[in-house]
Amino acid sequence: MKETLLPSSIKNKEKRSAVHAKLKQQKKVEKKRNQKVREAAEKKALELGEDPPPKKTPRTIENTRELDETVCKPDDEELFAGNDADEFSSILKQECIPKILITTSRFHSSRGPDFIEDLRSIIPNAHYYKRGTYDLKKIVEYAKKKDFTSVIVVHTNRREPDALLIIGIPNGPTAHFKLSKLVLRKDIKNHGNPTSHQPELVLNNFTTRLGHRVGRLIQSLFPQDPHFNGRRVVTFHNQRDFVFFRHHRYIFETKESKTPEGKDKKENKAARPGKVVARLQECGPRFTLKLTSLQNGTFDTQGGEYEWVHKPEMDTSRRRFFL
Amino acid sequence: MPRTTTVESPGCPPLRALTFDSLGLVKVIEAHDGQDGGAVKMVERWGDPDSSKCVLAASILDRESDPLVSVARKCGSIEVISAINGDLRAQIPNHGDEDDAITGLHLFSKQQSESSSRACKLFTCTTKGHARMESIELGGTVAEFVRDPSPTVWDVCGSGNILCSKIDGNENYALFGGKGVEVNLWDLQKCVKIWTAKCPPKNTLGIFTPTWFTSATFLSKDDHRKFVAGTNSHQVRLYDISAQRRPVISVDFRETPIKAVCEDIDGNTIYIGNGSGDLASIDMRTGKLLGCFIGKCSGGIKSIARHPQLPVIASCGLDSYLRIWDIQSRQLLSAVFLKQHLTSVVFDSHFRKEVPVPEVTNTVEEAEVIETPAKRKKGFKDEHTSKKKKSKRSSKKRLSDDED
Repeated sequence: MKETLLPSSIKNKEKRSAVHAKLKQQKKVEKKRNQKVREAAEKKALELGEDPPPKKTPRTIENTRELDETVCKPDDEELFAGNDADEFSSILKQECIPKILITTSRFHSSRGPDFIEDLRSIIPNAHYYKRGTYDLKKIVEYAKKKDFTSVIVVHTNRREPDALLIIGIPNGPTAHFKLSKLVLRKDIKNHGNPTSHQPELVLNNFTTRLGHRVGRLIQSLFPQDPHFNGRRVVTFHNQRDFVFFRHHRYIFETKESKTPEGKDKKENKAARPGKVVARLQECGPRFTLKLTSLQNGTFDTQGGEYEWVHKPEMDTSRRRFFL
Repeated sequence: MPRTTTVESPGCPPLRALTFDSLGLVKVIEAHDGQDGGAVKMVERWGDPDSSKCVLAASILDRESDPLVSVARKCGSIEVISAINGDLRAQIPNHGDEDDAITGLHLFSKQQSESSSRACKLFTCTTKGHARMESIELGGTVAEFVRDPSPTVWDVCGSGNILCSKIDGNENYALFGGKGVEVNLWDLQKCVKIWTAKCPPKNTLGIFTPTWFTSATFLSKDDHRKFVAGTNSHQVRLYDISAQRRPVISVDFRETPIKAVCEDIDGNTIYIGNGSGDLASIDMRTGKLLGCFIGKCSGGIKSIARHPQLPVIASCGLDSYLRIWDIQSRQLLSAVFLKQHLTSVVFDSHFRKEVPVPEVTNTVEEAEVIETPAKRKKGFKDEHTSKKKKSKRSSKKRLSDDED
């Protein structure tokens, strides 16, 4: 009977904390014991030359994610037909070269221009235009006329960029992202300076239909023929609906394999090359995006139709993700 | 700890719905009683994915025998297909220019002449206001259909874009509205405009909101005088042509344009859906919001359909889900993911639950159904419905009837 007693049901605080501490101690001991048993089993298996027992995977929020039927499957022919018909297919099939217009909100200063400077160094063929007092709809129209393929609007609040709007031109969707945790290039220690090569693009974990679409929107900002000799890579990593942006340079280095005997070393070197490792150098900036809405068609707050809007009633579970 | 309990969806009564999407596919959705708790499932897919065949408007001729669905495509052609198995029955090629998209389509359920039961009347309206009414003679296949050589054609508006059009329950009047076009009512027999709305006055600041109707419907089936229109400035307006030219009731609903309006059969409730995925019902006698349909609906609603008998509505839209809602409790009964942006949904109300048959005969019966496209699968209700017909006939006899 005493075993099942929950400390939270005890009203006396002293007693409750004592029981709680005891329970905690028990759990700790048990955990240690289990660990030891596992280690012993592993060691034994190694000695006998058997396969060690399979390692347990920890339960994380990602792998216990709520089941989502919209996750893209590789054998879904409708998905590919939809891809061929969507707004980005002409860019992604390299029929036209992406040309990006970057502009800002009405007022911006301080970190805004620096961020735009960084963005221009990331995205090839990006052109900054002063916002002036133009309406965004006018700018979209201008961009249509000048054959731009996307418009990026950096929204600044209190001298700090806080939102990013990516508009596909001429009829592509409009994605509205919250931007946070911005670290500019100049604030990153030992940052590298990117070359003017076209970067490689890494898009991670865009699994659902919505994620797939957002991924394609981001993909359409970059040229589809990266210069691999530039060794520049731009990463958009999605984790729990937050899209993390990183920009790196990488280099492959051959490490000489260390063997104790000097004679062997020479033979080995001739026989097999050393282990190749990739080293990374961050170029910056770093920032995090979170999708707030995806609108069908170009920017139109009054009459727009949304493909996806974040609503508070969706946040009823920590394990539900949309991208 | 991961959540172990899931919210049980109550499941929906047996029903059959057809959805139309932006790749031109027609998907048949069915719910069966007792099977998986009444969840809706996609059972069939008609057509091949092609973005130029994007469905813009669809209309169903909902009847017991040989129900038809007409579909207006983005490329300008109109197709009439059988609602039972998706066979193409008639195809009307594009008339007029390419950028004049079809916004309104209606298949008349009333037969204009008793002699030819295969004839049906089709109403279309384009963005630029070219309305057109023609009757077509359907055959068993595409090659056999005959078009009426002299369709009735008229222009609804001089300027502006027509965005919504609707035919009333008795099919004598048509309603038009759009961007820069006030709602107006036409008499279909004489092809004359009988009524136009007047724009609402400027507000207290002297600001005039430009006319932009996005959806419209008649309030009840047999009354053409009252209708409801949704505007781009998120207003729902009730017009009564016997009262005044300005709206009788005007209700604001949230912040995005009203994209779909659907009437209930009780004649005073309407269902509205807007561009950011909110669905609500409004009592139009008082203009009060009865309540919102709350679910994880995240994309703009394109179309709402009310089932003629069962107390359910279906909504579909840009989030590619078809959702079935209960109208009393406003609960989500079931949802199905259909992979594409859906543009329209219709109910086939004469769908009956299949009689559970032994598996051996099942395949035989299906084969028969393929042979007889215009006839439904045998259901338990067939017993008394077939009594209404002249005599009980075997399906093979029906087949021979079809071909003549």
